[in-house]
Amino acid sequence: MLAQSVRTALAAIGANKMRAFLTMLGIIIGVTALVVLVSLVSSATRAVTDEISSLGNDLLSVTIRDDKGKPLKSADLAQIAQDSTSISLIAPVSTSSATAKQGTSTYSLTLTGTTNAYFWIMGSELAEGRFLLDADLKNNTSVLVLSYETADEIYGRTDVVGLELALDGVKYLIIGVLAEEEGLMTSMGDNYTAYVPYTVLERATSAASGGGASGMSGAGGGASSGASGITSFYAAAKEADNIDLAEAELTASLLGLLKGDEDAFSIRNNNSLSETMASVTDTFALLLGAIAGISLLVGGIGIMNIMLVSVTERTREIGIRKAVGAKRLAITLQFLIEALVICLIGCALGIVFSGIILGVVNLTVGADSSTTYSFSPEVVIVAVGFSTFIGVAFGLYPANKAARMHPIDALRFE
Amino acid sequence: MLQLVDVYKIYHVGDEEVRALDGVSLAVGAGEFLGIVGPSGSGKSTLMHILGCLDTADFGTYYLDGRPVEFYSESQLATVRNEQIGFVFQSFNLIGHMTIAENVELPLLYRGTKASERRELVHEALSQVGLWERRSHRPNSVSGGQLQRAAIARAIVTRPSLLLGDEPTGNLDSRTGHEIMELFCELNARGRTIVLITHDQSIAKRTNRVVHIRDGKVVA
Repeated sequence: MLAQSVRTALAAIGANKMRAFLTMLGIIIGVTALVVLVSLVSSATRAVTDEISSLGNDLLSVTIRDDKGKPLKSADLAQIAQDSTSISLIAPVSTSSATAKQGTSTYSLTLTGTTNAYFWIMGSELAEGRFLLDADLKNNTSVLVLSYETADEIYGRTDVVGLELALDGVKYLIIGVLAEEEGLMTSMGDNYTAYVPYTVLERATSAASGGGASGMSGAGGGASSGASGITSFYAAAKEADNIDLAEAELTASLLGLLKGDEDAFSIRNNNSLSETMASVTDTFALLLGAIAGISLLVGGIGIMNIMLVSVTERTREIGIRKAVGAKRLAITLQFLIEALVICLIGCALGIVFSGIILGVVNLTVGADSSTTYSFSPEVVIVAVGFSTFIGVAFGLYPANKAARMHPIDALRFE
Repeated sequence: MLQLVDVYKIYHVGDEEVRALDGVSLAVGAGEFLGIVGPSGSGKSTLMHILGCLDTADFGTYYLDGRPVEFYSESQLATVRNEQIGFVFQSFNLIGHMTIAENVELPLLYRGTKASERRELVHEALSQVGLWERRSHRPNSVSGGQLQRAAIARAIVTRPSLLLGDEPTGNLDSRTGHEIMELFCELNARGRTIVLITHDQSIAKRTNRVVHIRDGKVVA
């Protein structure tokens, strides 16, 4: 019975191919819009949130604005980490810029002064050599670790451990090269970074601002005030789930150190950043989905229209079917299934079109970015569900109209 | 087999009351071949619709196989049409986008008959009317006589107790009409109860019994 209804529906659609296709077009466009837009947004979202979480979901980034005349020392950070139950590592960070000279070329580098903890907090990996060790800080040794891109840019290779690089005239020994990073952020800007011991950078910048002999320019770094004190550091929670507790503990410790002044420091939580990001893109996806939904709705009205025409055209057929014993339910099902079949064929075509469009997007736009735009399976399910709903919702009235016909009136219809 | 007791069917056209059936009483025995003859507008089509359970009487009672159908629901009437009655119309009323075999199969689908049994019954019905070779043709590619044979096959495929013909030869030339009448006689000879409506006296002569109807009343 059901199989017969589907066959009848297909036959009826086949008898009016052009009309059926035009009716389907509304659904095809609606489904294509829904699937493509939502897939694009969610793929982009995934790329961005992956990027953010690759920076560490367990990461707190702290900036001290006002140290109340009591500069923060490494020992203070160690104390904070020790007092806390949820913070595993703290790494002070200061940044500065420097010019590297290699042969006849010069390169502008971002110098990050930090400690060994930075390596673990950031989840970095080494391509060559080692990262900064505590001994490097204690001894103020002029060593540096290059990022993969930096080594590649300056030397054209990465096996450069043991070579010396001159930064603003001071020679540094290269002890390590970080592994290549893949991701949206790194591909977005040039990222020529070198890591030096925190103490070394601190001394160099204070010498620069004090004596002015060196060309190094302190920029928001650990020692821009001249007096040495930590103004920026990263803290990692022991577990990503503990990030909010870690933030609370860190806040408490800093309030203690900074005389209870909430405005003297700020803590940025990567978790909340990715949450914000996700909620923004979710809203965006919902909005685009709603627009696509409206076009599906319009498609549904088109289906209702054509089904009403079909019912009128086939009034006599309905009369014949009733005369040979079709009950209301059978007639209702027949036309409902026809509406549903139109919707689902439209939906299938729409999904196929979406696949083609996403493929083209990947080949053109996606080729030079690391983001791949793929179907999100949820949206395909939503599209099929929505098409089914529309087929039933807009097919019900015409089907019911057909089922309620009086057999005699239907048979007499010309 | 079937019995009408004082049946009325009244239509209102504007303010005017039209008594399509004005107290008709009629009985048909099992195995009978009855002809109902009357001019157009005499109410014979209305009578046929009521006999075929396509319509219900306003007053009076219709007993089919001894049971009154006036209290039947729409769904029960559909079941009666499907299982007890076979209908042959003047204008064939085959569905154009289906093959002849599919048209004949239709009542069996609504009955829920199994596919294997359907094939058998369709084969039997089409063989009886001599149309098995044309089974995969569509209605627009066969002659009028063949269309009516297909319609008869559809009417008998469920092996109904009652076969109703509403001017079944009306759209056919007289030679083909006689062939169709042959078929009806043959079916009656095999024990099927048949009621035919016609305005053609020569057709009516071939039935066992003729009832005349005029202005909604049985006159002879």
